[in-house]
Amino acid sequence: MPVSAGYVAREATTNLWRNRLMTAAAVLTVAVSLALVGSALLLKQGATNATVHWQHGVNVAVWVNGDASPAQYHAIGAELTQNPLVKSCIARSQAYDYNEAKQTVAADEFNATQQSDYPSSYRCVLENPSDATAVVQQFTGKPGIFGTPSSPTAQIRTMESVIHILQWVFLSVAVVLLLSASVLILNTIRMAIFARRREVSVMKLVGATNWFIRLPFMAEGLIQGLLGSAVAVLVVLGLYWGIGLDTTKTVANQGNLIAQMSMGPWEVAATCILVGVVGIGVGVAGSALAVRRFLDV
Amino acid sequence: MITFQNVTKSYKGSTVALRDCSIEIDKGEFVFLVGPSGSGKTTFIRLLLREEIPNSGRIWEAGKEIGHLSKWRIPYLRRNIGCVFQDFRLLPNRTVFENVAFALEVIGRPKHVIASQVPQVLDLVGLTKKSGNLPGELSGGEQQRVAVARAFVNRPLILLADEPTGNLDPTTSLGIMRLLDRINRTGTTVVVATHDAGMVDQMRRRVIELDHGAIVRDQARGVYGLDSAVAAAGAGSPIDTMVETATAPVAKTGAPAPIPGFADSADRLGRRDVES
Repeated sequence: MPVSAGYVAREATTNLWRNRLMTAAAVLTVAVSLALVGSALLLKQGATNATVHWQHGVNVAVWVNGDASPAQYHAIGAELTQNPLVKSCIARSQAYDYNEAKQTVAADEFNATQQSDYPSSYRCVLENPSDATAVVQQFTGKPGIFGTPSSPTAQIRTMESVIHILQWVFLSVAVVLLLSASVLILNTIRMAIFARRREVSVMKLVGATNWFIRLPFMAEGLIQGLLGSAVAVLVVLGLYWGIGLDTTKTVANQGNLIAQMSMGPWEVAATCILVGVVGIGVGVAGSALAVRRFLDV
Repeated sequence: MITFQNVTKSYKGSTVALRDCSIEIDKGEFVFLVGPSGSGKTTFIRLLLREEIPNSGRIWEAGKEIGHLSKWRIPYLRRNIGCVFQDFRLLPNRTVFENVAFALEVIGRPKHVIASQVPQVLDLVGLTKKSGNLPGELSGGEQQRVAVARAFVNRPLILLADEPTGNLDPTTSLGIMRLLDRINRTGTTVVVATHDAGMVDQMRRRVIELDHGAIVRDQARGVYGLDSAVAAAGAGSPIDTMVETATAPVAKTGAPAPIPGFADSADRLGRRDVES
């Protein structure tokens, strides 16, 4: 006998409303845990995107003193391009570095400087990004070179490991929370089964099929999972738009970390879908277990 | 309609509830299942509902062997069986109409069928005027009538009643029995497990007596027990005239002839049983 969807929905929502306090607790736990899962996934995706940015970008920047002679400037350029570890170099003027600093340096710090304070530079891409440290060592202290050539590689590594750790912390907290969410859902369904035990016994007596009895309880768990994941999806979308991971907004702040982590709408949509699926899974698993364990049909 | 073939049922702790029972109940029969507490009456009913499985022996119900019925088919078996219990088992937050309609709703009957069948059956049990009341607003007898209506609304082949008058006074019990008799006359096989000696004695229908799980007596137009056999033989009870018109089952053993003048003692016996 087909079980009418209207009946299942009506029974499930009535039960949820009767037991609204427990329902709210279960939904919130699902929401918090899935928001963490979603954030961890965003972070992972962002880190992957940023790494791609960094690895295809500049590996080493060699800063040339503002007062270096043109001959010195060209000699440094020639030495860089002839270095076997270096793939290619682009010369950047003082004006370029000044403008770049305008976007990457804090405003009050930047306002205290002038264009002439900035060095000109060579931005080099290496044959192998992991040779960055060697190139930095070779060019440190050479005549006409300002300070130490900078290599974002080390920063990238640090950033990557921080993100990696954060991601695992998020995921493990989320797994624990998801487990407790399943248990909460299981308990809500158990209470619903207990509250309706008379109805269930009458249903069995008059010949209701097992699925007719089970489905409203399963639907109840499903709805709790869905509500929880809906809240979590809102949190994920809030993060995406709120902190500017949206690719359409990143043109204005090229160069900062968040811009490099930015991702397209499909990537965030995939995260949301995954969050939704996990939420439904947790709801169905919790209620299925409760129905199996406590509903004697 | 119902056949038990060498059925034995024992529970954990080696309590034997039914011992090698063989019995046949024909379509349209009205059968009383009597015996002291623990004699196996409820187990008999539970086996028929397929709430229990026999340890050995076979049971046929409406032409089907139910011992090996797969789990998903049990609900379909139960749609052919109406059941009434001592504690009514009504849903307290639903009205009389809704309680009866519930039995049709959960087996997926369309609304128009519910709208036509429920008033019919409420009319049969005489509760048309109370169809909007909650069970808590009804007397015990009325609640049991609702339970009977719910059991019968689906027009089952078999109606089982486990101590249907156990919570009711003799007059009310009489009304319920009258109702079961009326249902029986529609062709429904009725099996009533009861302690109500007065009722059994007045109805004079087939009596199957169980003792320690064994069938010790199977008597057409029988009485409750040996001590009441003489007493209950007194005719003239209010239900008697009605019973005479009912389909009389085939006599298995000779029924004691009614002895005039013992109606009072039959009544007394009946009451004593209800009160004890």
